[in-house]
Amino acid sequence: MSALVELVKDSSLVDQVDLAQLYAESDIEATFTEIDRELIGLIPVKTRIREIAALLLIERARRLMGIEAQAPSLHMCFTGNPGTGKTTVARRMAQILHRLGYVRRDHVVNVTRDDLVGQYIGHTAPKTKDVIKKAMGGVLFIDEAYYLYRPENERDYGQEAIEILLQVMEDNRDDLVVILAGYRERMDVFFRSNPGMASRIAHHIDFPDYSAEELHRIAELMAASMHYRFDAEAQAALHEYIGLRMTQPRFANARSIRNALDRARLRQAKRLFENRTAPIGRRALETIAAADIRASRVFQDKNQQRSTEDDNAKAGADGR
Amino acid sequence: MRLTQGQFSFLPDLSDDEIKLQCDYALQQGWSLAVEFTDDPHPRNIYWEMWGTPMFDLRDPAGALYEVNECRKAHADKYIKVLAFDRNRGFESIRMFFIVNRPKEEPGFDLVRSEGPGRTIHYTLRPYAAEQPAGQRYR
Amino acid sequence: MNKPVVTKITDAKRRFQSGVLQYKQMGYWDPDYEPKPTDVLAVFRITPQDGVDPEEAAAAVAGESSTATWTVVWTDRLTDYPNYQAKAYRLDPVPGTPGQYFAYIAYDLDLFEEGSIANLTASIIGNVFGFKPLKALRLEDMRLPVAYLKTFQGPPTGIVVERERLNCYGRPLLGATMKPKLGLSGRNYGRVVIEALTGGLDFTKDDENINSQPFMHWRDRFLYCMEGVNKAVARTGEIKGHYLNVTAATMEDMYERAEFAKQLGSVIIMVDLVIGYTAIQSISKWARRNDMILHLHRAGHSTYTRQKNHGVSFRVIAKWMRMAGVDHIHAGTVVGKLEGDPNVIRGIYDTCRETHVPQNLEHGIFFEQPWASLKKTMPVASGGIHAGQMHQLITYLGEDVVLQFGGGTIGHPMGIQAGATANRVALEAIIKARNEGKDIWREGPQVLANAAKTCTPLRAALDTWKDVTFDYASTDSVDFVPTPVAAV
Repeated sequence: MSALVELVKDSSLVDQVDLAQLYAESDIEATFTEIDRELIGLIPVKTRIREIAALLLIERARRLMGIEAQAPSLHMCFTGNPGTGKTTVARRMAQILHRLGYVRRDHVVNVTRDDLVGQYIGHTAPKTKDVIKKAMGGVLFIDEAYYLYRPENERDYGQEAIEILLQVMEDNRDDLVVILAGYRERMDVFFRSNPGMASRIAHHIDFPDYSAEELHRIAELMAASMHYRFDAEAQAALHEYIGLRMTQPRFANARSIRNALDRARLRQAKRLFENRTAPIGRRALETIAAADIRASRVFQDKNQQRSTEDDNAKAGADGR
Repeated sequence: MRLTQGQFSFLPDLSDDEIKLQCDYALQQGWSLAVEFTDDPHPRNIYWEMWGTPMFDLRDPAGALYEVNECRKAHADKYIKVLAFDRNRGFESIRMFFIVNRPKEEPGFDLVRSEGPGRTIHYTLRPYAAEQPAGQRYR
Repeated sequence: MNKPVVTKITDAKRRFQSGVLQYKQMGYWDPDYEPKPTDVLAVFRITPQDGVDPEEAAAAVAGESSTATWTVVWTDRLTDYPNYQAKAYRLDPVPGTPGQYFAYIAYDLDLFEEGSIANLTASIIGNVFGFKPLKALRLEDMRLPVAYLKTFQGPPTGIVVERERLNCYGRPLLGATMKPKLGLSGRNYGRVVIEALTGGLDFTKDDENINSQPFMHWRDRFLYCMEGVNKAVARTGEIKGHYLNVTAATMEDMYERAEFAKQLGSVIIMVDLVIGYTAIQSISKWARRNDMILHLHRAGHSTYTRQKNHGVSFRVIAKWMRMAGVDHIHAGTVVGKLEGDPNVIRGIYDTCRETHVPQNLEHGIFFEQPWASLKKTMPVASGGIHAGQMHQLITYLGEDVVLQFGGGTIGHPMGIQAGATANRVALEAIIKARNEGKDIWREGPQVLANAAKTCTPLRAALDTWKDVTFDYASTDSVDFVPTPVAAV
């Protein structure tokens, strides 16, 4: 990577570029492999990432030839439901940007509105600037960015944070990349009300929900990483569970699967403990049985709405 | 006259890139950076005005340079310095200090002598600039 | 032929029969002894006379530096003598030098008076160095327990506070000794001070033998120097000082001179090692009470520190001086005109300014030494160094050091101010380059040449002295060199 940066810093231009060599030197292939490994499915997202990477590589080549003078805008927006991999991809994107020489370091500072906005006059600007300074040299990831904009409350200081961000996104492009994230519809509303913000975003990536098969694979992978396995009946129960849960409210994709797994483990432990008459082997300790899954209330109130006010995405516990 | 406090005052003024490199050195050592300004350059004036609190948890010197430039916008006619703090035992003090901005004219100091007993003289330094109240010293 | 093995006599009647016993028999050699954390430890380099058993020689050193005498005395039995006996607990041959041994000796804490270097030294080196069965004897290193260190004041100011007082961070301090060493009148002396300080140095210095001579009375020197210092402060806006030498014939005279220095507003005074340990501790206490930085010139040390086989190593002197309490101590330059092997110097510098010094035989440090938060002494590098060596000096000596360029300032072809400026510009340029990540050992000369493009005094300095080096074999060096390990 550093060779690439050196090449670009050098004022002498070339008249021929070897793209294969540039690509190999950047080592972003390794990052793609990691993304493939970490995230199940998400084909449209992965395609999009590769497209953006190709664009950045070509822009690099163009600058080496002296064609492109202005630094490209790199700010991005990730839309989608919770648990679809936005934060993971943001980290990997920081790595890609770093390896292609667009940011100096590959750290990601992950914030929400409360980290940027103050509670009283004069509180917001230093708070926002502090976050920005810590993120400089890397990526600033703002989750649920639309909460910054609260037009109904005239004493809200979010607008101040937005102004500062707009200025930094324009003036300090070399120092900072901003990635906004959140629900698609709400981001659309936010951008309509803040055209300045919209105009600075160069790349939009939408993160579709996982399919049932993908969620099943995720569940198996998560279980395997914790050294659990599902027996045949449990597999069937899992399949049914996923199908039902997906249709119910506050479904947070991979996060919901994670929570379900945690509860299944709890039930397995309870089951084994209550039957502790005889010694048990490794197999029993590792296996999650159908009963551990079917005990979930998802199977009981299949068509009921949940009545709790808890924000599923934030708390990560959907009570099932 | 040229105030020669700080690590690099005998060299040509540092460019923004050079300031970044020095700040990067401080960050690599694990020190925290701070920006301070003053219009009273007396050598015993230890406490310049703080431009914000020291910046802990910085990963990249761009953040420090951002603050330096913000301070320059607000106090273009004053002395501005960058400090690096080391919190490790055995030091717990400042490890770097260099000036990043100066007023256009630096009139210097008046050495005031008052005769004491015998041939002793008591010396006091008065910055010429301090003849004006704070805020109006350098135009 | 088998020699009978000589061991400690444990039967009391036999032990205290009148007559002469070997030191080993009296219990001064005890290889099973485990040094306590509160013991004072010392390592001596002993060269026994031919035919003398090395263990007996080590035991003799232990004995003669603690409770023994050459014949058995019954009065020993009135005391808890096993406690007061020093114990030689380890003996190693010196690598590559047959006939020489390292003898490790442990002393109980109760043998020493709290907070007294005079007592510590009288005990350890007061009696044993003339001992006939030894051809030569050298005190190489000592380990002072934390319990003992805490009874000493330590440096009155210390490196951190000195920098805070001078408002100078991130670079070595610069100084210059007045030249010629002797003969200038007070007024002319002050002229050199103001020129050197205006040009960019932080300190100027009286030499060790400038006290109060017919050509310049001390009061006149102090008055003219402070005029020079204050004028230079006004010209530059930096805090500066001149080490006013308060060394005198009696303690009372020293106090008088120190008080006058304080009255005139000096930030720093200096004394010479030859005033003695008691005087040094007294003036150190005074310096603490009066917010004065105390500089120590190590006048006379080379008479006993320089030869490898006999005397006291300077690293021990440095330890004692840090305990007694000095803020600056001359400690060697490596590349200058005076004796200094790089590894030995490194060990001495670490002793002065680290908060905890681990054992490092390659640097001549035999014992791990925690410093119990005693303040740090700033080493001073002085003697035959010039601006063209700046990159080597920073590499060898680091940042917390006072670099003194006496001839290198005053002998500059364009004058004293130019000499000072050349040194200051060279220093700042090297520090800036080091911070930027350059390899100053290799690129130093290029960095200096670049800086010289915008600084004529530096250009002249480099041209005048570029070929000056002092390459002589060191008389003092380390015994332990890292041996290459064969790849397996």
